[in-house]
Amino acid sequence: MTGSTRQSGAGDQAEAPPRNTACYVYGILPEDVEISEDAVGVGDPPRAVTIVRHGEIAALISDVDVDRPLGRAQDLVAHEQLLDEAAAEVPVLPLRFGAVMTTPEAVVEELLAPHHDSFAAALKQIEGRTQFVLKARYAEQPVLVEVLTENAEARQLRERIRQLPEEVTRNERIRLGELITQLIAAKREADTQAVVGRFEPFTAGAVVRDPSHERDAAHVAFLVEDDRQADFERAVGELRSEWGDRVEVRLLGPMAPYDFVTT
Amino acid sequence: MTVAVPPAGGGGLPGRSSGSGLADVIDTILDKGLVIDAYVRVSLVGIEILTIDVRVVVASVDTYLRFAEAVNRLDLASQKQGLPDLLSSAPQSVARGKTKGMVQGVLEAAGEKLQDMRESYADEPVPRARRRRREDD
Repeated sequence: MTGSTRQSGAGDQAEAPPRNTACYVYGILPEDVEISEDAVGVGDPPRAVTIVRHGEIAALISDVDVDRPLGRAQDLVAHEQLLDEAAAEVPVLPLRFGAVMTTPEAVVEELLAPHHDSFAAALKQIEGRTQFVLKARYAEQPVLVEVLTENAEARQLRERIRQLPEEVTRNERIRLGELITQLIAAKREADTQAVVGRFEPFTAGAVVRDPSHERDAAHVAFLVEDDRQADFERAVGELRSEWGDRVEVRLLGPMAPYDFVTT
Repeated sequence: MTVAVPPAGGGGLPGRSSGSGLADVIDTILDKGLVIDAYVRVSLVGIEILTIDVRVVVASVDTYLRFAEAVNRLDLASQKQGLPDLLSSAPQSVARGKTKGMVQGVLEAAGEKLQDMRESYADEPVPRARRRRREDD
């Protein structure tokens, strides 16, 4: 569990009087976007999501109560769901969770206006493209059998551990686990490279993510053009059937291009 | 601010979404995306963020001991082949295992719990943003 509190910048400018409501910012979109009236965002109760515009760009925002911490499950899901639903329809530059400014006017004056041209250019770049994340995880028993099959030291450690009482084999068990972790990491490296190479013809970009689990086989974000999406999904299906029971493959998306926007 | 991809045009086919657990959401929105602090100074508001840190430290003694235990309990006799035979077989051909064994990663466990939490919100109306030039439903 970690927590962080950001202090507002000490302003030389005249600041608005203190108030309990501030303005949560989800992401940046083209100006010609409309949001349905029942769209809700973070907070308890969730507040209505609205749009502020400047020139060719706009920001998705909602009121947020600054007295209460953010980060409950429904806050996180609301943030991503709103952006991902939007990203399925229009280009979106997603902000990291937890972006809060004083007022909608400040969003326009300090976020949209000064950075208008670079945001507008970035939106043009991602037009017609969305992100998918491929998460592949080795099934436990098959990968452990593979590892034992391929590595003599692992087999020997296992035999030794099985022959001795548990209380005297802690070092051997740690060594065995470490070895397995390393061997799986090597498999992950190879399988991740294979996945990136395999999808290269269907994707406009790939970002390899850190593993989120010790049995991860691949964790890669892909940027996919809308008209290649069917090809991409077909290729994922082929990978899934090739790997069979050895690896569980999940595909997340379409989602906003979180991994492809950089500050 | 840059988008780390080459420029190109494209159509606007609506995509389809597949479900994702809260652990997946956390992987994505807590350390990816644009950082507002890089753009805004004066009107930034400090708000406490409770983050649920379910990310696993992949290389830890706990992980090692869990792997060792799983290997120790692995019933090789129930596999179709014994170890000596396995030595000469391709990885793809071995062992149809359960995908969930005795080793249950911290992330997986936490993720499932959080998944339950998420599911209770899954029925809420889905917000949608659309281009003005498109017809709404």
